[in-house]
Amino acid sequence: MSEAYWWWISSAIYFVGAGWAALTIPRPWYAVRVATSAGLILQACLSLAEVPLTPFPPGMPGPVTMVALLVGFLGWIIGRYSAQYLVGEPGQGRYAIALLTTLGAVNAVVVSADLGLLIASWVLSSFGLHHLLTFYADRPPAIVVAHKKFLASRLAEACLVAGAVLVYGEWGTLSLTSIAEHAQSLTSANARVTAAGVLLALGAILKSAQLPLHGWLIQVMEAPTPVSALLHAGIVNLGGFVMIRLAPLMNQIPAAQTLLVLAGSLTAVLAGLVMMTRISIKVRLAWSTCSQMGFMLMECGLGLYDLALLHLIAHSLYKAYAFLTAGEAVTEARQRALRAIDAATRDRGVARRVLSLPFAYGVALGSAWGWEHLLHTTPVPPIAPVLISAGLATLFWESGPSPVQLILRNALLVLALTQLYLTWHLVARSFLGPVLPVNVSMLLSVWVGLCFIGLYALQGILVSTPGSRLAQALYPWVYGGFYLDERFTRLTFRLWPAKLRSQKQKLTSSFTTMTFKGEEA
Amino acid sequence: MNAIAQRSEDRVAAEIDAACRSIAPNWPLDRQIAMSPYWGRVSEPFKRALLRLNRQTGAAAAMPASYYAKAWESGTIQARHLSRAVQESGLSFSPDACVDALGSTSSDDTSLPLLSDCADAERDLRHEPAWREAITQQVSQHCAAYFDEDQADWHLRPRAGLYASWREALCHDHSIALLMHAPGVRLGARELPLDATQCIRWALNVLSIPPESLKELLQVVLLRINGWAAWCAYLRWEAELAGAADDHIVELLAIRLAWECLLDDGRRDGSSRWGNWRRQWSSRITKEVGAHLPITLLWQRAHEIAYQDHLFSQLTRESAKAPSSVGVTSPARAHVVFCIDVRSERFRRALEVVDSEIDTYGFAGFFGLPIQYTPIGTRASRPQLPGLLAPTLHVTDTTGSKDLDRRLRGRRLKQLSANRSLQPFQRLPSAAFMLVESLGLAYVGKLLRASFRRQAPNVESEGLGGRGVEQLRPDLVLPDSTTVAQRVDLATSILRAMSLTSGFARLLALVGHGSLSANNPHAAGLDCGACGGQTGAINARVLARIFNDPFVRQGLSQRGIVIPDTTVAIAALHNTTMDEVQVFDVADIPATHREDLERLRQSLRSAGTRTRAERATSLGLDAQRNDHSALRRSIARRARDWAQTRPEWGLVDNAAFIVAPRERTRGMDLQGRSFLHDYRWQDDTDGRVLDLIMTAPMIVAHWINMQYYASTVAPCYFGSGNKILHNVVGGRIGVFEGNSGDLRIGLPKQSVHDGWRWMHTPLRLSVVIAAPRVMIERVLQAHSPVRELLDHEWLYLYRWEGAGIERYLRGQWQPWAESSSPQSVAAA
Repeated sequence: MSEAYWWWISSAIYFVGAGWAALTIPRPWYAVRVATSAGLILQACLSLAEVPLTPFPPGMPGPVTMVALLVGFLGWIIGRYSAQYLVGEPGQGRYAIALLTTLGAVNAVVVSADLGLLIASWVLSSFGLHHLLTFYADRPPAIVVAHKKFLASRLAEACLVAGAVLVYGEWGTLSLTSIAEHAQSLTSANARVTAAGVLLALGAILKSAQLPLHGWLIQVMEAPTPVSALLHAGIVNLGGFVMIRLAPLMNQIPAAQTLLVLAGSLTAVLAGLVMMTRISIKVRLAWSTCSQMGFMLMECGLGLYDLALLHLIAHSLYKAYAFLTAGEAVTEARQRALRAIDAATRDRGVARRVLSLPFAYGVALGSAWGWEHLLHTTPVPPIAPVLISAGLATLFWESGPSPVQLILRNALLVLALTQLYLTWHLVARSFLGPVLPVNVSMLLSVWVGLCFIGLYALQGILVSTPGSRLAQALYPWVYGGFYLDERFTRLTFRLWPAKLRSQKQKLTSSFTTMTFKGEEA
Repeated sequence: MNAIAQRSEDRVAAEIDAACRSIAPNWPLDRQIAMSPYWGRVSEPFKRALLRLNRQTGAAAAMPASYYAKAWESGTIQARHLSRAVQESGLSFSPDACVDALGSTSSDDTSLPLLSDCADAERDLRHEPAWREAITQQVSQHCAAYFDEDQADWHLRPRAGLYASWREALCHDHSIALLMHAPGVRLGARELPLDATQCIRWALNVLSIPPESLKELLQVVLLRINGWAAWCAYLRWEAELAGAADDHIVELLAIRLAWECLLDDGRRDGSSRWGNWRRQWSSRITKEVGAHLPITLLWQRAHEIAYQDHLFSQLTRESAKAPSSVGVTSPARAHVVFCIDVRSERFRRALEVVDSEIDTYGFAGFFGLPIQYTPIGTRASRPQLPGLLAPTLHVTDTTGSKDLDRRLRGRRLKQLSANRSLQPFQRLPSAAFMLVESLGLAYVGKLLRASFRRQAPNVESEGLGGRGVEQLRPDLVLPDSTTVAQRVDLATSILRAMSLTSGFARLLALVGHGSLSANNPHAAGLDCGACGGQTGAINARVLARIFNDPFVRQGLSQRGIVIPDTTVAIAALHNTTMDEVQVFDVADIPATHREDLERLRQSLRSAGTRTRAERATSLGLDAQRNDHSALRRSIARRARDWAQTRPEWGLVDNAAFIVAPRERTRGMDLQGRSFLHDYRWQDDTDGRVLDLIMTAPMIVAHWINMQYYASTVAPCYFGSGNKILHNVVGGRIGVFEGNSGDLRIGLPKQSVHDGWRWMHTPLRLSVVIAAPRVMIERVLQAHSPVRELLDHEWLYLYRWEGAGIERYLRGQWQPWAESSSPQSVAAA
């Protein structure tokens, strides 16, 4: 029992670090470096020692261990980065305190064994993040965005609290272990449990910036780059994490799963399309996150919690890297220019692009069959080959001076990446413990399959014939983000406006980021 | 009647053109070179132009009063400098009055309003977004979609021009109408004329702009979208260099002006939006620009005088000590030619100290080669020359053997296309999920590697392989018939321009420069501006090859320039972040010169150590000043650090441009603030070299100087803002500060400010030339724009006269006496 508390020590380290940083202003970075390093070391030791989290059923600590280690790692990388990046900025102390507080709260969400505590920690992390997002409080856009996030978060928390209350009303407990036990012994969910599940799913959806309340995630570029990295890699995915933690419950509530699949798949596809049109690097990355979070929630809804866990961790690492190196955008553009070929010699490749999908599907299906029957691994979900092929088929889209060689090379690549995918799938599976029965309607799988084949086909049309009538007609809508965020922004302005300064002050205040004060006293 | 209408039509056309020409171009990030943002306004005197800009935009003309107050307290600006500045402006008050006036400056916003500002004044901005930002946002996003080629995977395919596509988009827009709750905008857009110029005329009519306000209004409107206007000005600049035309900027003007009409409710009574705007506009425009000079501009001049006093006493006191027998002491063993860049000054000084047998030269870092470079096997051409010029020659890589070239090219094409075939997988949405789930975990390694980076990746050599890189040399692509003749022509003119036509040393090293930084969108701005924001490596290597060509040497000797067989030209690159010099193509250097090379390299290393020690304080590495290896390690770490926003200080603190033989300045500590161009007027019989220097390098130095000036005094307007918020647009077009807003131009604040103080001292350039009056005057007569630049005090021109210095001012030469105490000035 007592070992479980070890995991809370990390949060304690971050909180103590925040206090220490507050005392050492204007040089808070030593505290940040020490706290994030200590946090990482502790997480790594605990993971290696596989400290049993006794309140959980055996096997369940897997996601907790992995995600806690992830938070420790990201905290350490982002802390180091920020310490150098923010040199000379006013308000570094404020930043350091908020960073460490947020990290402590996120860690608490991850290690909580109790739904109430989990929600409370989540609220705290949201407030910590709010301070980071408003680091440049004199930038009106920063305030508007933070305010939108504030509203979306409170709405999400209301859903979560309501869900928790219903759960407590049903089973008289908020312990995640007990909830799992109760849920697993359920034959079919009653109305109260169903409502609870739907509310909890809704909370996760709102916290994960799904359409149409995604605007705050897209516009947080008003905060320093490492804050974007932290948000996109370490915070926005908590929705998925909580769904994984609540898997035994969610798995029993088809309505909640349907909600997750619909919201997730639509966001994955639509936000992905919007991403294709973005003209600035950070905003592109933000839409990408939005879409990836949709994909992760969709996986949760389909009962593929192992894939969702893999996605959560891998996406965090990928996105943290992408944000922290956003300054390389120019180098990357130069790199692409070096590789560019004459547009005239470029073939349309329609046949190749069409045929590569069934080919990749065949490879994925064959591999899955091979793993299952020759290596006797757990079965691969039937939707997986569809998702694999919609992704890997793009490797055949470009041609070059020796096309056959290129196709062969990339066919091997497809084969290799498929095996890699299946390997990670098994690894994640092994972390997750006993396999939950997948009781998702076949219809949802079909819907998802159609969504991604449709996305593949549509992006093919857009890339092959950008001048086509379809591409032209869609472009304004997609470039405008389907005009979803404007509605929400307008609504927030009307119902509960952000406290902006008056126009006169505002005009001059956009200049104040440029007046250089020394470090706050 | 018709004639009158015609005249007003012409006048409008002229004013549209004038407004568009008042915007200076801003180069894209991958070829960023410095440009004065005031360049379109040099036909007005410096002070008046900056005050006009202040009235049009609110951008400051000089530093805030507190800045000068601090310089006063620290003794940098003294009473004598102030009295001189007062005297120059033809005023008569005491330095004490200047100090008092500094304490009571007011900063009322008197910038000229637009109709849309009055629309904002009517809005409840607590409950509604402001039009000012919303318009900027809408125009900026449309421009980005229109001009982007390198970021998005799915582009706007405009069937029409910038204006027409904007109009079309607005007719079907749901975004701004929804956000601003202004459904009328969509309807209004349908009423707009179809053509940009028509739209401008129509809008001027609708808003009934009186002719006397026309000029100001068009400029104010265009400045509201200054960043994209500067981008359009760049497109026009490039088009005109290539002999074509580009009117995007006119369309941008039409777009921004159309917005004013879209917000016009059509009412014209006194209390209407239009009436309010007209009232405010007239009350502010009636005041003559520059009628009241802000006291800070006087202090600015005093600050410049203080610097000039110091510089000139240095130049006259110490040059008197210099040996009169110019350059004939002992023949140097190596001639090392650097770029005129201010960063070279430190390094040259150090190099001359560690090895007295080395002579250094200063010359524009593109070494006079008007080239465009295309790496072998690619289509990625880029200019390698100053922005003033259009490339006339083409350079690509070659091994010298056509067969080998073909093989290398083929291999590279294959490798590049293999890498290209991964791009859809890395970028398309359906693939992104798979990318994450199959390869995402590998990003642990990438994050660790980036955090502890050992070496910056070299993008340039992708697909070549180590052997290929070793075998390839950049070389001119010339038709066989002209190849030698053209090379000889080039070599002759370049050597003459370098003032290096005899007395060749055993080594002639051509040292270009480049910087090293990671994760830095503005990296090209730290490279060689004379090479179009690239490193000078290609130019140096091409020129060394030309100089070593025996046929070229033969041709040169026929023209009286004899390069002895014992002279070998080598190419090198000065890494300005690390202060290390890399020598290229060492394998080509004959064995006879290996020893000379080794000795030169040794000296270059020692010079680097000295230079780094000198820079340590400004890099915040004072503690390691005396520990050479620790300092080198720290600087190297800094150069590779992905979170470092200040890898080096670039051309910070530049203030002077000295055109003279090196003997005039050798041994002087010019603190890395001077561009140094070698010039020997005695050899320049027809004055062509001086003509070139005053019309090209001097102008480029002025651009750099003004870019730093503007980014320091008006950072929110002419600087690109905070690097911490930078968000690259279109892969290379520029940056947004944060999420969106206008495109930002100029230098980031981290390039001129270290977080505690300004690293750049904004001073106008002081040019000092060692040449007779008549030669200088001849250049000024031939080039009225240069004369105008001087007459309008955008920079200062001085020359040595005997043991003293004299200033050129509007056709007169005035001797410079060191500023004396105010009493004696008053007495005089």
